[in-house]
Amino acid sequence: MSGEAPAGLAQFPITRLCMLTTVILPIIASIADCKYWFLVYDDPFITEYKQYYRYVMFQIAAINETDVALITLIWYNLRHLERLFGSRKYASIIVLSWFYTTATIVLMNKLFNLNPFFRWNRLTSGSLPTVLSLFHFYKEYTPQIYEFDVRLTKPFGLRSKQLKWTFNDQFMINTLVMIMLANQGMSGLATGFLSWLCGVFIDKGLLPGSEVFRVPSFISRPGHNQGQTLVTGTESDAADVSESGAQGSVTGGDEEPSDEPARPLGVQFLDTFRM
Amino acid sequence: MEIDGNTILFIFVILYFLYSSPSGDGVTSQYEYNQLQTLRAQYNDEHSQFANMTLSENFRNITGLKLSYEDVLKSPGINATYPIAGKDYNHWSSNQGHMILPESVITEIREDVWSGKEGVFPPNITSTLHGLIKLDSNKDYQKVPMPVPEYYEPPHDFSQNFNDPYVDDGTLSNGQHNVTFNEGQVVIEIKAADTALAYSDARRPSFFNSQSDRWRMLHVNLHFSDFHDEEKHSINSRAVYDIKRGRILAISESAKFHSLFAFPHYMSLKEDDKLVFDEVKLLVEEYWNASNFVDTRTMNYLQESYAVANYKCEFLAYFQLSPWSAYSPEQLKVIDDELTWPLGRRANLSSLPPINISSGIVYSPDCGINLRVSSVSGPRYELHVRKMRDTLLFGIVLLASQIYLLLIQMQHTNTPSMVNKISYWCFSLMNSVDGSLAIIFFFMTSAIPELYLPLVICSFACLILASVFEMRYLISIYASQANEQNVSFTTLLRRNTGSEERNAPTVIPDEATISSHMYRRYILMMFLSMVLILSVATWSRRIRTPFECVAFFVLNSYWVPQIARNAIKGNEPRRRRASPGESQAPRQNKMPLLWSFVIGTSIIRFLPVAYVFTVPSNIFYHHRDIRYVVIVALWILFQIVILYSQDIMGARWFLPKYTIPEGYSYHKGISSADLLEHGSSPNYSIDCAICMNDVPVYVDDIPKTHKVDKESYMITPCSHIFHTQCLESWMSYKLQCPVCRAPLPPL
Repeated sequence: MSGEAPAGLAQFPITRLCMLTTVILPIIASIADCKYWFLVYDDPFITEYKQYYRYVMFQIAAINETDVALITLIWYNLRHLERLFGSRKYASIIVLSWFYTTATIVLMNKLFNLNPFFRWNRLTSGSLPTVLSLFHFYKEYTPQIYEFDVRLTKPFGLRSKQLKWTFNDQFMINTLVMIMLANQGMSGLATGFLSWLCGVFIDKGLLPGSEVFRVPSFISRPGHNQGQTLVTGTESDAADVSESGAQGSVTGGDEEPSDEPARPLGVQFLDTFRM
Repeated sequence: MEIDGNTILFIFVILYFLYSSPSGDGVTSQYEYNQLQTLRAQYNDEHSQFANMTLSENFRNITGLKLSYEDVLKSPGINATYPIAGKDYNHWSSNQGHMILPESVITEIREDVWSGKEGVFPPNITSTLHGLIKLDSNKDYQKVPMPVPEYYEPPHDFSQNFNDPYVDDGTLSNGQHNVTFNEGQVVIEIKAADTALAYSDARRPSFFNSQSDRWRMLHVNLHFSDFHDEEKHSINSRAVYDIKRGRILAISESAKFHSLFAFPHYMSLKEDDKLVFDEVKLLVEEYWNASNFVDTRTMNYLQESYAVANYKCEFLAYFQLSPWSAYSPEQLKVIDDELTWPLGRRANLSSLPPINISSGIVYSPDCGINLRVSSVSGPRYELHVRKMRDTLLFGIVLLASQIYLLLIQMQHTNTPSMVNKISYWCFSLMNSVDGSLAIIFFFMTSAIPELYLPLVICSFACLILASVFEMRYLISIYASQANEQNVSFTTLLRRNTGSEERNAPTVIPDEATISSHMYRRYILMMFLSMVLILSVATWSRRIRTPFECVAFFVLNSYWVPQIARNAIKGNEPRRRRASPGESQAPRQNKMPLLWSFVIGTSIIRFLPVAYVFTVPSNIFYHHRDIRYVVIVALWILFQIVILYSQDIMGARWFLPKYTIPEGYSYHKGISSADLLEHGSSPNYSIDCAICMNDVPVYVDDIPKTHKVDKESYMITPCSHIFHTQCLESWMSYKLQCPVCRAPLPPL
């Protein structure tokens, strides 16, 4: 198994789905002026209006554009998990995380609001809880590939010591997650922590389902990314090759044998603007 | 560009002209400065009179309010001056002795219009209402003179002496003063005035309306016209809204009528209630302060109100709203909040009743016109916007599916021979519709800022559809049909009298040339259609309606060119196409248009027309005409049926035999002389220039060769010979002879 992930998202259908949903849904919502569907405030939406559907909705789309950007980038970084687990297991874990984090957050929110002093009114927006739960899996199962030091010699005048920071290849996702948590304030930090715990519990089996539950197979196309462990890696690689080879022969055996390849539509469009 | 001293000087001069525009007040000369100062002084003076006024005092020196109706009745030629000898300035009662309204109108307002009791009325009534207006009388009443004060007059000569006495030469245009129709339609736009003040000075606490649960200041624009849109009147006015009783008083303002100060007196018309007077006076006072009224009078305002004063009448409008009895004030508050800032509160917005003016009088004191308004209603502005948004979203979906269908269609016809069968004008017609739509949507973005996002998306989708996808397709259609057009075109250019027969030139313009040519044409077309659409919107309905009908009809005839094209190309009927030469490669003689494209496009393009003409509450307020829609639907259906019949029975079934021109046949025998020219080989075969193998040919005068199948080779018009399979696969890329580049007739 090589350290390099395949380029593009063609091999990561679930990651692609998540990224596209994260970007496109808020855009549609703002065109249709229904962004408020994805807001949860304990008061008045839940206690007064009893709009419990918001609990189901709030993780689907982020309201703030910054959150949209951050969550999209984090989904992209989490694609290694899809490579590791395979699309179907990854999808199952996402669904499980979504379910458990939502339940935990709602429960904790209700419990916390029993205290008479502080109110935890606003829940986070966007798939922050799910992402944080997956972040545990990422940390647990993705090997660190390299690390590097950043040294500052005497940054604060002559008498200061040398500063040294060690980063590894995961510093990008770490930073993104931190910004995302900070961006949503206290509620973001609290929710993030709870969700991360959920991730740990799902992984350890305390919250059941990670080994048993699988999404129906038509959601994640079978055979597309079966997961590459050391043992099966070569097999699935070979399968991929033969598959693509078969496809190639199908396209090659088109009805008209010709030496000049047919220009695809995209090329034709580009040609139009080549003056 | 070389930059020398002159250039820099030139740039500075340009910049000077750009930035030396009039300052904040728009004053450009000493004369105008004096004008503006006088106006402000006059307003200040009037305001100080107003500030000291009580309900028992008459108006004194306030522009437009110097005379009462009875003054005019007594002495018809009276001048509006102050003071008038013998006029009682120390008493007020709401009758024609003190007001500018005649007694009959005052009674009518008291008894018919403002007859309602206190009730629950919506505090925020921003909306656009539609209804009917009826003329009560346009000659029974005396006209109360309202002269325009002198200082409003523009200068008469270049010396611009401000103190020159103004001589009225009586040429003042009478404008559109009289209302001559008996019945017409009215549109009343109501906007809250306090939102317009949001930009006032931020440091000062700009708290404007301290009685916002009781009184509201509004901007009311009244537009009324006869049913044919031939005589249009439009009044901009300020209004006071009594929330408790649902009463609205709107008074227009111009150079001859400073109506702001009239509100307290004219509002306390029904019960001579001191409370009403004081509250309205406070409202006006607060409005005056919050809007910084005197300082915000600019030169622009002055000139505009002078112009309005000259060509329009002044109007007072008394309206009575219907109560929303089903709601409590708390519910109304929730509804209001939800409308302005939607969060999903518990407000049942779908069942919200419309804003309805149950009765109203519009009276013009200086023109003596009395109009009655009845049952004018419309949804709250936010609800209307919501409806428009939903319609636009549906439009976006339609556009997206049109793009998808077009892409499928383009994939279907991916060879020049296939594209050749498509009609250029069919897609050109669709393209012009989509291009114009893009422009309309783009213009609407500035008109309706609330809908900016969906409108921009619509406009963008139209633009993408028209100028990228459809243009791309048009270019390839044009390119594939270029050799058909070239013949006549060049003959025309060379002024050939036909003495020398010229073949089509061998040079076919390449796609880049064609595309730049087409884009130029497209942009010109968009520009022209924009001008046309903008001007059509202002036409009177008598001309507009037939124009619209013809235009929609023509624009919905997009399959007609394709039917004609099919007939020219002469597609084979379906059952003959079903059995091509068995062993040969698939021949390119399918129907050029996909059925999914034909039907989908027809539906997509018909739905908006159907919506505009059949749904009575459509967002464009377009009139309803079901018969026309049915005709259009039948017409489209008829076109589709003809297309289908061409598919089934062959494209030329409706043409008589002798009108059908003979197409070029690639499969024919040759004479032995031709064979010699090609350099015959002993077995009567010729080299195919594509595959370099032998092509056995059918030679007419040598019976030995008659067992050769004519379908196995093709002879081009330039008499080059190839294998059928070789040339056909070549022709899916280019319709030029591979040997001599002469254009080839498509299959």
